Amino acid sequence: MRPSRSSLGALLALALLLAACSDDGSTSSTGTPSASPSATAVSFPVTVVDDDGVEVTIPAEPQRIVTFAPSMTEIVYALGLGDRLVGVSGPYDDYPPEAKDVEEVGGAGEFGVDPNIETVVSLEPDLFLAISGGDQWKAQLRDLGISVVTLNATDFVDLLGDIETVGRITGATAAANTVVTEMRSRADAVTAQATERVTCFFEVGYPPLFTVGPNTFVYDLLERAGCDPVTADAASDYPEWSVDALVADGPQVYIATPDSARSPQAIAKRPGFEGIRAVADGNVILVDGDLVTRPGPRVVDGLEQLSAALHAPGD
Amino acid sequence: MRPGARRYRRVLLVLSVALVGSALLAVSVGAVAISPGSVVRLVVWKLGLGPRPNVSRAAEVIVFQLRLPRVALAMVVGLALAVAGTLFQGLFRNPLADPAIIGVSSGAALGAIAVIVLGGGTVLGGLGVSAAAFVGGLLTAFFVYRLARVGPAVNVATLLLAGIAVAAVISAAMSLFMSFAGEEIRSIYFWLLGGLSSRGWTAIEIVAPLALLGVVGTVALVRDLNLMSLGEERAAQLGVDTARFKRRAVALGALLAGAAVSVSGVIGFVGLMTPHVMRLIVGSDHRRLLPAVLLAGPTFLVLADLVSRVVLAPQELPLGAVTALIGGPFFLVLLRRERRRASAVA
Repeated sequence: MRPSRSSLGALLALALLLAACSDDGSTSSTGTPSASPSATAVSFPVTVVDDDGVEVTIPAEPQRIVTFAPSMTEIVYALGLGDRLVGVSGPYDDYPPEAKDVEEVGGAGEFGVDPNIETVVSLEPDLFLAISGGDQWKAQLRDLGISVVTLNATDFVDLLGDIETVGRITGATAAANTVVTEMRSRADAVTAQATERVTCFFEVGYPPLFTVGPNTFVYDLLERAGCDPVTADAASDYPEWSVDALVADGPQVYIATPDSARSPQAIAKRPGFEGIRAVADGNVILVDGDLVTRPGPRVVDGLEQLSAALHAPGD
Repeated sequence: MRPGARRYRRVLLVLSVALVGSALLAVSVGAVAISPGSVVRLVVWKLGLGPRPNVSRAAEVIVFQLRLPRVALAMVVGLALAVAGTLFQGLFRNPLADPAIIGVSSGAALGAIAVIVLGGGTVLGGLGVSAAAFVGGLLTAFFVYRLARVGPAVNVATLLLAGIAVAAVISAAMSLFMSFAGEEIRSIYFWLLGGLSSRGWTAIEIVAPLALLGVVGTVALVRDLNLMSLGEERAAQLGVDTARFKRRAVALGALLAGAAVSVSGVIGFVGLMTPHVMRLIVGSDHRRLLPAVLLAGPTFLVLADLVSRVVLAPQELPLGAVTALIGGPFFLVLLRRERRRASAVA
């Protein structure tokens, strides 16, 4: 009557990623309000098919928005809609700082990861922005007459499309265009620099060691930044990875976040890790987890950080 | 009037008040506090007996679409489990018998888990899983019954052992399924730990008729249940068709427990505790025991569900764990008191 360790671990890794947070200050600019909404007229009702395959019709321009993922919160603020945000998922909705003052609707359910339906209902939202998962409570919210839109960015290009979608369903198309255009040009600049490719490994959690598979958002960012993860043949999105395999594969760069490792030195001290090429060569870098695992406007900051670290002089 | 009848009526009155009170409390308490008075006025308004009280539209939605169906489901499930427990304790003449004993609970959980792992978790909006649980529970009970039957006779002790053995095999099968589960592990945990969250009125529309059928069937068996407590041989001499009785009791118990598990997952202790405690209070005459159980079972589960929602709010504790945490120590105290009394008599 016990679940396998690996499935529990995978769940844990997933939760970690979804909730990835760290508070070491990153000074970025993309996430701040950059344009005023409703600059161009959008005619409502607007109908979209979301990433759960559900057709959702938004009858009028939403005035009361609840976001159920830190990435969604950041997108809403980036589109200049922060004053319409009436609910966020929880303490991880920490950027921009104003988001911390918005009522939290999460932490419910038997695993503490569902929205509290009663709180959501009491906020009377006209738009609920979510990422994938939670089919049951989403159905429940829809039954209660709340428009739930699920957007799940699988890679950078998909994220740009998602931001445009949020713009379309909130009447903030102009702001969305501005944000997307800037993100695209900065990402293109990074890709243009990434001519010399290195092999890398991205750590999601340790111990046990978890990493990312090729269908994840982080994996796409890594490739764009100019490195090729050694986990290309991973079967699942957040697989457990053996240190043995890493010693054999010998990635040139080892990437972790402050969520799973205190410092590059701490990583080097782990049993067996000195056998990994990147660790032996001293090419271990820490990047801000929020900037690479949250599919929001700030991923271009993460992309630039990754690129800078990968192509730092001395590598 | 028989001696003790007054006391019995008072017990029923207290139990009724407890049931209504706990239901009212459970509908009032939550993320958004709604006063019991408002709840009552809302219900009165909904029944067309009064004006709409001055509460927000959100409060109305929360009461009628979230909390009332949940409390109602807790009542129906508590009722079904408690009556099933009464039946099995009567059938096995063993106060430790409960709905899990002939494998109904584990069979139902296995049915649900199999469907979830094989990818049918969202069929018919989750009702496919409930149907599989129900069928799994009934099939297991039937299988255990057939295992224990030798010719026309069913030995109760064999039935018990067959139930335990089958439950062990099923639990192994569940572990196997779970190791292949991946991301569905969450839905599986729900079945193993039990819970009443996010079910809405649909679940009640399905379970309530089944539970009602089970209760009516049990009421019809009350006389035989009493006679069976004298021992199988005496009961047969007094005119009970024991083979038919056993068949019916197993079928009814499986129906009740299967219906409960199919919407709430495995919730232990309700079926074990409720009849046991009520027997200590009103005696073991099933004509007096059954009405008390009908009131106490729902109350117990409504309160346990309230505790599960409130303790770590907004997070919910698994209901099965709460019933065991409340029920376990309570049960141990009773058991010790019972033993002390027994040794005093001896």
